[in-house]
Amino acid sequence: MAKILMKGNEAIGEGAVRAGCRYFFGYPITPQSELPHYLAKRLPEVGGLYLQSESETAAINMVYGAAGAGARVMTSSSGPGISLMQEGISYLAGAELPCVIVNMIRGGPGLGNIAPAQSDYFQATRGGGHGDYRVIVLAPASVQEIIDLMQVAFDLADRYRNPVMVAGDGILGQMMEPVELGEEKEIEIPPRPWAATGRMGGDKKLISSLYIVPEELEQHNLKLAQKYTLIIEQEQRWEEYQLAGAKLVLVAFGTAARICKAVVDRCREEGLAVGLIRPITLWPFPQKAFAPVINEAEGFLVVEMSLGQMVEDVRLTVNGRRPVYFYGRCGGMLPVAADVVREVKKLYGGEGQ
Amino acid sequence: MSLSLKRITIFTGHLGSGKTELAINFALSLKERGLPTSVIDVDVVNPYFRTRLVREKLEQLGLTVICPRGEWMRADIPALPPAIRGVLEDPGRYGVFDVGGDEVGATVLGRFKPLLPAGDYHLWLVVNACRPFTRDKEGIISMLEGIEKACRLQVTGLVSNTNLGAVTDEETILTGHRVVQEAASALNLPVVMVAARRELVEQLRPHLPRELPVLPLNLFMQAPWQVFS
Repeated sequence: MAKILMKGNEAIGEGAVRAGCRYFFGYPITPQSELPHYLAKRLPEVGGLYLQSESETAAINMVYGAAGAGARVMTSSSGPGISLMQEGISYLAGAELPCVIVNMIRGGPGLGNIAPAQSDYFQATRGGGHGDYRVIVLAPASVQEIIDLMQVAFDLADRYRNPVMVAGDGILGQMMEPVELGEEKEIEIPPRPWAATGRMGGDKKLISSLYIVPEELEQHNLKLAQKYTLIIEQEQRWEEYQLAGAKLVLVAFGTAARICKAVVDRCREEGLAVGLIRPITLWPFPQKAFAPVINEAEGFLVVEMSLGQMVEDVRLTVNGRRPVYFYGRCGGMLPVAADVVREVKKLYGGEGQ
Repeated sequence: MSLSLKRITIFTGHLGSGKTELAINFALSLKERGLPTSVIDVDVVNPYFRTRLVREKLEQLGLTVICPRGEWMRADIPALPPAIRGVLEDPGRYGVFDVGGDEVGATVLGRFKPLLPAGDYHLWLVVNACRPFTRDKEGIISMLEGIEKACRLQVTGLVSNTNLGAVTDEETILTGHRVVQEAASALNLPVVMVAARRELVEQLRPHLPRELPVLPLNLFMQAPWQVFS
């Protein structure tokens, strides 16, 4: 099939449709508005439903309803809207409902601006909602990867009955790249015996996160914890780039990783042993990626479009065995390749002193 | 290029069709002919890759850039600077309009309808046949109708701008061009030019009708991983 040129935001929409998602509830916000715009056209073509809600709070609760009724469902927003959705995300996690939530991150805090950022990492991986819960977080770095990861996102949501977040940034949403969509397949959505689709003479099906008796809530929490442990064991994803013999290992995700990849190429040309670990799952954080390189690497440089959030997970993983440095731009400013090269050279020259 | 020039040229089209790069390169081609040229950014749809971001570079190249100034430049609001009117009313100045994508972006144009010099403007629809909603004749016609309705103006020509970004080759452009040509024939409109990255122009030229102008493009919008200086 011929390649087409897509914006990241459109690819999220197309990827969702091809993953069998037929319901979208959301509210426009820059820099992800092309996504609802695309789905408003595309979902009716496949017999799906696109609905612009009155607010993000409404959207996430519509997702709760649709997921509870057994639908493959998605919502999307950017930072400020995702903040509004936190209560709903906690409820979805508590009620073990599968759904996909997209955050195309922009500059914050507060209203911030519409420029690209990665400063919602804490919110995505630690949860801005209340209670002991986890959300699986996927971070694509190209338009093609968006298409591929949308299928993964919906599958993981189903497999673990858990919300999955796809975290990108404005650049990823706005940029255009050629993609191979492949054949459009008929998606068989796994059976959902728990869905509230009517009792039909069987057992009562209740979608709820309310456990009034503390003993019961503790049991529920422990059951969720078992699930999270399994996810940590099974679902860490990452990409390794030029790690062989790397003395300095860059760690970056999404757009920052694209920049770092170009930086690695440039540094290798100049004879500097630099490599890259690109986390694809932000939660679970790909700790397994670090074990093979920790002995040979002399240090790690984390590059983020924030004041340093993922760097904490890298430090927890490296656990003091090697120095972990940080370089970032924030407020919607981007580190360009030249900036990162400069940081690398500064560290490269200074290491071991 | 053997193009009939008019004082005002407006590039409209679907989201991501390549209007910004076209407007910039076309404006520079006018400037190279010694014509005083302004490029006007009326893109109120696209939040990122728009003309205003390369304003300084274009001004160094001798173009006048009309776009919201200061803190409004990056605001997510449909602000249109009053200087646009100056370009429309100055009979000695050439204006190249970069309009936002789809019918949503084209709505802005309606506001200038009464000010456009009668018979002295082009309204060109930029088409990339590799984009999701304009891959065939029907899609292109439907896009054109939506845009015309939104701006209350008639499109006067199509620009053949099929590309796949960095992986575009001769075949991409020629295959797309056939689709654009088919739509143009059905619409009874001319294809006014083909656009292609500068390095592809030479190999492309023999495969296109002699009288069809090819606009060589130097790309101005860059991703952060392309910036090494």
